[in-house]
Amino acid sequence: MAIDLIEAPSEMSGDYLKELKHTLVVSGDTELISAPAYYLAAQRAPSINAFMTGIAIIQDELAHAHIAYHILEDLGEDQEKLIFSRDPKSFRYPYAFDVPLEDWTELIVANAFYDQAGFCLLGDIHEHCSYGPWKRGLNKVMLEENFHLRNGRNWMKKMSAAGGETKADLQRAVDWMFPLTVEWFGLPDDLKMHSKQLEYKLKGKTNDQLRQWWLSLVVPFCEENGVQVPAHKEGEDFVLDYPFPCTFDAEERRWDFKDPCTWDDVLVRWRARGPRNAEMVAMFQEEFHTFRKAHANS
Amino acid sequence: MTALTDVQDPEMPINIVDLGLVYGVRRDGPRVDVDLTFTAMGCPAYDLLLGDVRERLLQEPGVEEVRIRVVWDPPWTSSRLTQDGRDALQMWGLAV
Repeated sequence: MAIDLIEAPSEMSGDYLKELKHTLVVSGDTELISAPAYYLAAQRAPSINAFMTGIAIIQDELAHAHIAYHILEDLGEDQEKLIFSRDPKSFRYPYAFDVPLEDWTELIVANAFYDQAGFCLLGDIHEHCSYGPWKRGLNKVMLEENFHLRNGRNWMKKMSAAGGETKADLQRAVDWMFPLTVEWFGLPDDLKMHSKQLEYKLKGKTNDQLRQWWLSLVVPFCEENGVQVPAHKEGEDFVLDYPFPCTFDAEERRWDFKDPCTWDDVLVRWRARGPRNAEMVAMFQEEFHTFRKAHANS
Repeated sequence: MTALTDVQDPEMPINIVDLGLVYGVRRDGPRVDVDLTFTAMGCPAYDLLLGDVRERLLQEPGVEEVRIRVVWDPPWTSSRLTQDGRDALQMWGLAV
């Protein structure tokens, strides 16, 4: 049965438009910030082929960001202002990207974990979104995210199979990146049941449903490949083996599973942003303004 | 060659045979030699596809060794797409 999609602002209520724009900003910001975050790590690729893959993934992420910002422009926003003139702290992307990825191992774990999270979030939007232009734009995004994911998974398999220090290096990255991605899906449903995004069919799954989907893809993959993750399956659901939420030392990139905290504490950490927020945003904002200034004077 | 239709391009809904990347496959007892090209020299899926080709052929009964020769001459062009490949890409919205 064909589903009636919303195609233009004239068909939207003011509140729908506001919620759609907010969701698009989160999506665009997340894709955009992944580019500098991945670039810092891709520079440490172990071969030219691996570097080309890393750079191609970054190019994809920039293009995915462009899709969201382009739609925002069609909805009356100024794309240039959104990208180049906002304060770094006002960008709406997951906290995980403010924690630096320092080497190739961390980049490929990001491909396997963060891009899997992106795949779940965007896959849900792709399936359920009531706004036609975005739904259609996501067709190609989904295939490209799948490529990023496969790159991450292939490398994780190889590194785990290699054993020794290579496997230990992989496990070290997984240890801090797994809980950070679990957090990616936001507050649990018992704290945030009502969502306008669900009401307006901008997405179809709740935060906890998306988190479970991600766990159902990542936990078995890690177990099959000898990578330890603090979660297991119980009945139909995946259960975390640590208090959720708990404290995270962003500078040391270390979780303290013996120190549970509240979601208020997490929100304070998220709102303060992480160690690399300003640096990441500056990577694409600075040169834009430098270039503008140079041309204005010529 | 049939086995290689199971190897998908990681970014497009098309297998590497219909995409025209496989220039030749020769079986010599337990060994298979493959001549393979890419759509571009800077193909981001280079390592991924080599791994997928090797992995798939090693699943064939009696195959113990896979040697892949990357071929740049003749260069790949869209004329190497099969009709099935063209149909798949056109259905996906690409002009070919």
